[in-house]
Amino acid sequence: MRKRKKQAAWSAGRQLAVAAACAVGLASLAGWAASRGKLSAAKADDTKSVPQDAGAPTTKPDTVRILIHTVPPRKARVKWGPKTLGTIPAPRPLVVERPRDSGPLDLVIRAAGYLPVHTRAYTFTDSRVAVKLTPPSEKNKLFGYREEPPTPDGGVPGP
Amino acid sequence: MKSAALPLTLALLPLLGSHGCHHSPPSPPSSVPTRTLPTAAPASGISTATTTARPTGAAPATAPATTPQPALSDTDAIVIHDGKENRIDAEAARRSGYTIIDFSDDWTPFIFAPHKGPDGTVMNNRYRRVFLGLANDTLDEDGEPLPSGEKNYLELYGIPPSMNVLRARFLADEQQTCHATISLEVLEEVETIAYIAPQKLKAAERKTAHLRRELEQARAKLKVASYADLAEKAPSLAAKVKAYERRVAEKAAMTEAEKRLACEGMFQKKPRHAPGVYDDAMRLAVKRFQQKNMIYESHYLRAKTMDALARPPLANDHLAFMRVLRERVVDAAGVVEDGSVAGKAGAPSYTAKSGKARQVRNLVDELTAAAAEQLGLATQEGSLAFFKRHKAADFKKMRVAVRLPTLPEYYGPDMDLSIVIDRGDVWYDLPWDDQGVRHPQPRRRYPSFHLYLKYDNQRIPLVRWRTTIGGWRAEQASDGYEYFRYKGSDVGSRVIRNIVAGPVWIAPESTPIRSLLKMKDVRGRWQRVVNYDELGPGYLSAYGLVAGYFVSPGRGGRPDWDNGIRAHGSSNYLSIYSSEGYSHGCHRLPNHLAIRLYSFILRHRPMTVLGDQGMGFARQFLAKNDVYEIRLPSRGYSYLLEPPLPVEVLVGDIRGTLKTPVTTYVPKPGIDYPGPPPPVRASDEDKESKGAAPRSEAEE
Repeated sequence: MRKRKKQAAWSAGRQLAVAAACAVGLASLAGWAASRGKLSAAKADDTKSVPQDAGAPTTKPDTVRILIHTVPPRKARVKWGPKTLGTIPAPRPLVVERPRDSGPLDLVIRAAGYLPVHTRAYTFTDSRVAVKLTPPSEKNKLFGYREEPPTPDGGVPGP
Repeated sequence: MKSAALPLTLALLPLLGSHGCHHSPPSPPSSVPTRTLPTAAPASGISTATTTARPTGAAPATAPATTPQPALSDTDAIVIHDGKENRIDAEAARRSGYTIIDFSDDWTPFIFAPHKGPDGTVMNNRYRRVFLGLANDTLDEDGEPLPSGEKNYLELYGIPPSMNVLRARFLADEQQTCHATISLEVLEEVETIAYIAPQKLKAAERKTAHLRRELEQARAKLKVASYADLAEKAPSLAAKVKAYERRVAEKAAMTEAEKRLACEGMFQKKPRHAPGVYDDAMRLAVKRFQQKNMIYESHYLRAKTMDALARPPLANDHLAFMRVLRERVVDAAGVVEDGSVAGKAGAPSYTAKSGKARQVRNLVDELTAAAAEQLGLATQEGSLAFFKRHKAADFKKMRVAVRLPTLPEYYGPDMDLSIVIDRGDVWYDLPWDDQGVRHPQPRRRYPSFHLYLKYDNQRIPLVRWRTTIGGWRAEQASDGYEYFRYKGSDVGSRVIRNIVAGPVWIAPESTPIRSLLKMKDVRGRWQRVVNYDELGPGYLSAYGLVAGYFVSPGRGGRPDWDNGIRAHGSSNYLSIYSSEGYSHGCHRLPNHLAIRLYSFILRHRPMTVLGDQGMGFARQFLAKNDVYEIRLPSRGYSYLLEPPLPVEVLVGDIRGTLKTPVTTYVPKPGIDYPGPPPPVRASDEDKESKGAAPRSEAEE
């Protein structure tokens, strides 16, 4: 009997959580869709929501929501140090909630077939982190790529 | 043998007499109501107890109160009158001529304080929270919680400890017993301790042992009792005697220095220190000690460091307190003159309205000494008593009221200030040859930063500080390889229109990748991350804690021309004070001086608070097979000077063969390149007009 009650309670809680997650996901998706067209290869304007008076002493929620997604949208694992924050359920973003002003999150985002990306999310305010993914075959397009100097034999294979 | 270093107070107090400041604590004005606090018997360990200002060395402190005190309110300020600590209405006191000094733990310098924008909205600086966390030892440089028991020691980098951090130091050092085992005399015996690399230590020991045998044999042969006698009887051995005795004294002092550093908790768990060896652990401990005591020296046991090691901990604590008081007094009074313009002939003078000649005063020291005297803090004992009678909670809102000496007549809300930078001796020649062998480029005149005031048709120098100019630096070219490039400092007339507190440096693409990465412990795992320390905002940022942006004013409706040159704070003090220090073109100042400078300018020039300059900057780069992304949500907190502040950069003396700078990349010796150097990047070379600063993605 007790077990069943507990299950029922869990079930109701789960429904609520699912509904909330859906709402969050839809809202996130809308935000992500709106922003998608604005992304460029070099710049991702993810902090448009930062107001000019970001530090103004007004009453704000104790937590911030960080929406993380990739360009192009791919399922990707998001790690914060040893902790896995979750997997980006592409095309929807991963939603992370953190205490406001609790310091930045240094994240590593790994998607199959792409180079790992190290990025940072802030907790000043709600924000969106759009991470551009690059396949290994295109790494020469990234800044910092360097060609190896020619070998002394000019690349001629040895005997 | 060296002389013991004089405490700061001894140096400051004579100034009190020379400028007519108060020797006895002033009475509060009759119109200002005061409330005397109940006091109790002195605690053991403190001799006499009164806060009456007295000459240095004789100022005991008020008895600590034992009855519970009502918490200080927002309107209260503490004032000392007749040796008693009273409370006073801060606003009434201010109207009566008192200066109110913020002693609270949430004090920041003016540039980081919340200000109202043009529409009356209060605008906070987002770095303020981190600044306070660092000062209070509660946060790290990223704004994440500092592990329990960790200390920041960032005074050297422009973030003085909070009053509660100082209080904890005083109370802990009064109780600690390990200091009794340290021989300060042995530390005082030596001026410095010569650095011996760990791998050369055994050879040095053998050499010392050999020297000792040689001297012993000579002593026995000449039948003299001591090495001093030996040096006198055999002058040819005098140099060897001196070298041997110095090494013995330094070795003994090294042991005491290790004990002292351990006693103060300067050694960390890793790396482990091997006794007697100047290893990485020792170097890091010395560095922490220097940071704690605001010592500008390289991380070795040099003169100032040895002086501080040879002082009792409470004496160092008192010096730290005086430095903290100094920054708060400077902030409260809005002054900048620190005596740095004085030359061999003394301080420069100007003609007052009365026609009398007046010297440019050292207001920083003068006002600090006056405040310390009035508050009974001029001595170590007085300061200790102050912290003992005030609970930690008192510093939540503490303010103190003091009567400071009158400021010079040239002070006002709109002072005709200007900056002149003298580049000093300038070398354009390559400092090394094809083999990579460096060639010295000595400078007799170093770059200097001057702040002037135009007053009554006179140009009055207010400060003169060492600064930096650009030189040869490594730069990453478009082929992904590093080359050398001459990064000069612009010459001629400029203005500062924007001052940014907590500025962010947007690293240009020419920044070497290696400097954009660092290792960081992320939740218990060490991983490579973007080096935000370098980008800011933060005390380690390339722009330091505050920057003034140099621009050429746009004419005919055109925007300003920004070539990326700034005068900014810097944690890299060795680049400022060493003989071989250069920047990438900017003019660096120690962070605490940059804070004083720009706080002063903003308080004495018309300005508008623009507040936090939000942006959404992101850029990726490749390192090995990982992509790193720089994300910067803000440029910093900006102030707009209206009218802008004039700046003049003087050419200096061009030394060497080349009379104009090299504008191309120069390959680094010993590197295999895939081809000839590529052209300098257009984005770095073209002086694109970027509009009003700080809009440019400028480089340091």
